[in-house]
Amino acid sequence: MVQFAFLDWFWLVLFVLLMTLSGVFFYRLGKRSQADFFLAGRGLPWWLPASSVYATHTATDTPIWIGGVVYKYGLAGLWYAFFSAWCAISAFSSTRIFRRSLAYTQAEWQSLRFSGLGAELLRGWFAGWQVFMNMFILGWVGIAMGKVCHFLFGWPPWVGLAFFSSLVAVYVLSAGYWGVVVADFQQGIIAFFMIVLTSIWAVVAAGGPRTITAKIASIGQAWRLNPFHFTGTFSGDFPLAWFLTMVVIAVLGGFGMGTSIDWYVEAQRIQSSRTVRDASYSIWWGTALVLIRNSFWAAAIIAFFSLFPHLKNPQEYEMAWYVIGFKTLPVGLVGFFFASILAIHFSTISTHLNLGAMYFTRDIFQHYIKPDASEKTLVQVGRITTLILLLGSFFYGLMMEELTRWLIFALWIMAAGIWLPNILQVIWWRFNSWGYLAAWISNLGLSWLVVWVLPEFKIIPSLPDYLQFWLLMVLGALIYIPVTLLTPPEDMDHLVKFYVMSRPYGFWGPVRREAIFRGLIGEV
Amino acid sequence: MGLIRKRWTPEEADEWTREDVMAWVLSPLSYLLLSVGSALSLFLIPSGFLLLAAGISITFFLFYTIDPKLKAISSEYEKKQKGYLERLERITRWEEE
Repeated sequence: MVQFAFLDWFWLVLFVLLMTLSGVFFYRLGKRSQADFFLAGRGLPWWLPASSVYATHTATDTPIWIGGVVYKYGLAGLWYAFFSAWCAISAFSSTRIFRRSLAYTQAEWQSLRFSGLGAELLRGWFAGWQVFMNMFILGWVGIAMGKVCHFLFGWPPWVGLAFFSSLVAVYVLSAGYWGVVVADFQQGIIAFFMIVLTSIWAVVAAGGPRTITAKIASIGQAWRLNPFHFTGTFSGDFPLAWFLTMVVIAVLGGFGMGTSIDWYVEAQRIQSSRTVRDASYSIWWGTALVLIRNSFWAAAIIAFFSLFPHLKNPQEYEMAWYVIGFKTLPVGLVGFFFASILAIHFSTISTHLNLGAMYFTRDIFQHYIKPDASEKTLVQVGRITTLILLLGSFFYGLMMEELTRWLIFALWIMAAGIWLPNILQVIWWRFNSWGYLAAWISNLGLSWLVVWVLPEFKIIPSLPDYLQFWLLMVLGALIYIPVTLLTPPEDMDHLVKFYVMSRPYGFWGPVRREAIFRGLIGEV
Repeated sequence: MGLIRKRWTPEEADEWTREDVMAWVLSPLSYLLLSVGSALSLFLIPSGFLLLAAGISITFFLFYTIDPKLKAISSEYEKKQKGYLERLERITRWEEE
């Protein structure tokens, strides 16, 4: 249990008021149109969506996760969080293509890239899946906050979940994405400042950099300060092969779209940027902050390790950053520290409330239920969906912890089989909607086979996750490539329109020649 | 023409060029160096400062390389955006396939 002094409460109340009022302040902008409620009118300078990318990807469970891997593997644990480096490539490739498409969502992008029934099936699938996914993330992150409050104040977990998520909903319901992005900007500054301060504080509290490195070396653990220390090329639980797989997945994945669950958050920030240049910079700088933030966290965890080097139970060391903050910071700063925890929580919750509502409103309600809906109706539907997502997340967060564990695993597996199709849909004109649908469907079956069924019957050994990835990728390609080639290509008129608008890279020769022939683009 | 091109016509900027490839190489390198460099610098390890300095330099070079092109693409694209947005609405409202 943590005791707050007056100054701690002061910071906390001030912060909560600031967040809520910012939503009310932007109420008028948010209600103007669907584009305002979900994309802030597509007019933001790069630094606003950049801070939103950073703030959204800093959640209450992120320091727990980073704490776990860095305590276990030293600075090499940073690579577990390096997957976000897909933005390094995406910022200067797929971000440009997606921004030029102007699609609100990845679901809508499907109907620009593909045509006919296949495109509609993909759009419907993406929309439904994303509404569910956002509710899942809201429940998952919400219950993490419930547990933090239980740890700090002894509250039952549902109180922290319901109370703080409801506070966030006030400004998301009022101002939509305007409220999200303005609050994220404030939250990003507060969170980054406190992460830097707490980490430096932790290093000083552990005796300073030189004492920490000497202490770690004296117990034979100097390898923890080597970011490239692996357990072997293929052996151990953190081999070089895993690292190389992760780098390939992340970096090459950036050329595609939908590389991970993160892409959908970025896609909204890309479209809310006022120009293609702003979109690129928002993704690049937002992710750069995420990676630098990880380094500060890692320093704090290494400092924690030097103080408590023999912890074996993950539940003890995963909370290292929280323990350091609440045990070592002075009165006044403890309240500010908790305010920064609220900041990282608010930013994640607000994003997923608005994002899930956007997929329902744009891709399900407007496209399939009421195509002629007015802007006023669309904003109202956006608000109602936000509320439903909030209520759904309460039930989800409280009742489905086991399912959450399963789903996190399922997401990793799902990423394996559709990683290459996500790239192919951008770089290869001949890849069609039936091939992409086949990839999604076959991956569900193949992942069950490779991960559970075949090892259970001793047909193949139980494989490490990086080998599962490569195997699923090859097996999936054996299905969706033939499906693509045995079904007709997309309609050429549709492809030409897409090409002229988005200008994708890769293998688009026939479409490009047709666009030049029609005089829609010039030869350079 | 120097290594880095500063002036672009709209048609040229729409193509994928050497500057884009340079950005694809420099950008992940920059992330890697900034990430590792800042972590090691916090422990006052000399190689950390070197990596961080390299990361910052590469970041500057990255934006020096790609910024003129991105500016050209953006200004040209903004002129067409209104028409594209109208088409997007027509597709969502089933007024165009």
